[in-house]
Amino acid sequence: MNKTASQLIVLGALACSTQLAVADVSDSDKKAAAKMATEVCASCHGPAGRSTAPTFPMLAAQQPAYLETQLKAFRDQTRGDPDAIAYMWGMASQLNDDTIVALADYFGKQTPAPGRAGSAAAITAGKQIFQQGVPSLQIPACETCHGKDAAGIGAIPRLAGQHAGYLLKQMLVIQNVLRTAPVMHGVVKDLSRQQMEAVAAYLASL
Amino acid sequence: MNVPVVRSLVGGALASIVLLGLAAPAWAVPSYARQTGMACSTCHTVFPELTPFGREFKLNGYVLDNMKQIRGITIERQETLSLNSIPPISAMLQVSYTHTQMAVPDSVAANAANGALARDGDLLFPQQASLFYAGKIADGLGAFLQLTYDGAADHFGFDNTDVRFAHHLALSGASDNDLILGLTLNNNPTVQDAWNSTPAWGFPFAGSNVAPTPAAATQIDGTIGQNAGGLGGYLWWNHSIYAELSAYTASKVGGSHPLDSSQGPALHGLNPYWRLGWETRWDQNALFLGTYGIEAHIQPGGVAGTLGGETDKYTDYAVDGQYQYITDDHILTVLGTYIHEKQRLDASSQFGLSQNVDDTLNTMKLAANYYYRREIGGAVGFFNTIGTADNLLYPAGVPVTGSSSGAPNSRGFIFEVNYLPFLNVKLQLQYVKYLKFNGATTDYDGVGRRAADNNTVYLLGWFNF
Repeated sequence: MNKTASQLIVLGALACSTQLAVADVSDSDKKAAAKMATEVCASCHGPAGRSTAPTFPMLAAQQPAYLETQLKAFRDQTRGDPDAIAYMWGMASQLNDDTIVALADYFGKQTPAPGRAGSAAAITAGKQIFQQGVPSLQIPACETCHGKDAAGIGAIPRLAGQHAGYLLKQMLVIQNVLRTAPVMHGVVKDLSRQQMEAVAAYLASL
Repeated sequence: MNVPVVRSLVGGALASIVLLGLAAPAWAVPSYARQTGMACSTCHTVFPELTPFGREFKLNGYVLDNMKQIRGITIERQETLSLNSIPPISAMLQVSYTHTQMAVPDSVAANAANGALARDGDLLFPQQASLFYAGKIADGLGAFLQLTYDGAADHFGFDNTDVRFAHHLALSGASDNDLILGLTLNNNPTVQDAWNSTPAWGFPFAGSNVAPTPAAATQIDGTIGQNAGGLGGYLWWNHSIYAELSAYTASKVGGSHPLDSSQGPALHGLNPYWRLGWETRWDQNALFLGTYGIEAHIQPGGVAGTLGGETDKYTDYAVDGQYQYITDDHILTVLGTYIHEKQRLDASSQFGLSQNVDDTLNTMKLAANYYYRREIGGAVGFFNTIGTADNLLYPAGVPVTGSSSGAPNSRGFIFEVNYLPFLNVKLQLQYVKYLKFNGATTDYDGVGRRAADNNTVYLLGWFNF
């Protein structure tokens, strides 16, 4: 079995398992999550999870299972990229499981921000990588896991409309193994910065 | 009391103020980091300048916490206590070295007359050492309290203080229609402000407290600070519009109480302070434009009977702006303010403390700073103060602090190189270059001192922990 195929099997299993893990959210938890999202999270992630600064990712319409996984990783200090340490280790430290699920549910239901235009050449190059991968480097097409419209599924995050700067930084921290993401380590290992910028520009435009 | 005596009193007071106490107060507080579990870089580009999130934290009442709380509730589940399990205490130490281009005259009168000079080059260990209580008091209620030991003055004093309450009001349930209503109780107009373009937290963020500084400053530019007590209400709408109305009255530190005429200038009655501003953020940019001001009624003090009868009325109108570009690698900030002060000196002129009844004083400050990876950076600042000549307010013949022309005009540049080996430690080299000092370039004090003699090299080690 080649590397790409084995990566996809792992991802598929991951997506299915985390989809099942998303629990029901009580009305009181929904209300508390909406209050926290408005009064706390919005300071960085913007109203309804639509942030303006690329330091802070868009959370609107993000996959709840992915958000749940990440919030728990922040709380448990197992996601160790610089911004996670500086911002989210503290912010998530006192969150309980119910609040995490409710927050994930809240942001998952928000309307995503529209895509933003970027360099036409970068978007074209990025679209090709997203849809076809880089066969010469055995890099699979991103859409295989993240979906044709980059909306993500389960624990695989939505990338469409995300800030290009945030996406680029995540690829870099994963490549440098500052953020643990088993499948993505193999995917981005040989990507050049230019290729990363192209993919990020394309995804931000969606 | 005759005019020469008053003049010498004013001159002496000015000298002691100028030589001992006008360093810009400016601190960042690690206990907020402990309370939130977030690094300094979350709230500060480089301390003490605030990021957009730092402004949100402040305007939300310093209460965001991510630590275990000691709680109390009633049977109706109403919260009666929510206290950090670890007290939000932190400390600051500043160690500095000051060197002026020419030493100031020896303070022994006979030596001064002979042209003898004080030793130039002054190490202050510490320049200042502060203890803070900075953090949450209860839900919605937080504080920034600072106790400072001043090395040159050799005393502990109550420094900048801001206790505030903030409450979110959800408007029509829409998440993008957010309103914060707040109250602030503080001791320095603009200490409650969230932008670094206003005086209390403005550039330069640190400076020598032993080098000569210009005699004239507007009331809102630190003159009232820490001798005032104020209560105000503010609103912060959609992370964009800020409006505040406060009122200040005298709260003198030390001296005789209740206040009598032996005290220095004291606010009289309630004095309104206003603030209005607009911030917009896009990508990695934040732009703020605002206006602020105060109408201060002041009894001059220092002469028997000056706490009765007439008051001086100072009306400060100011505009300010701030632009920030913040990325991981590059941080650029440009900020500035212009303050126009109208002085109606009914009391001072009556008691022979000012020559004119009506004076004006205008101050402009501009600064730009840049940092690479929050580690190494530099700053350039420009300041210019222009006002009405007044031979009693700014008397001639007082070494260093006097003005031979009676004019308060001062102008110059500030250059800085800063290195931060850690986010909470700043090593600073600052050079202040005066183009004009107290009205002139040469012989500005009537005793032969040049403006350039006050050019200052200042080395600072600044530690927050």
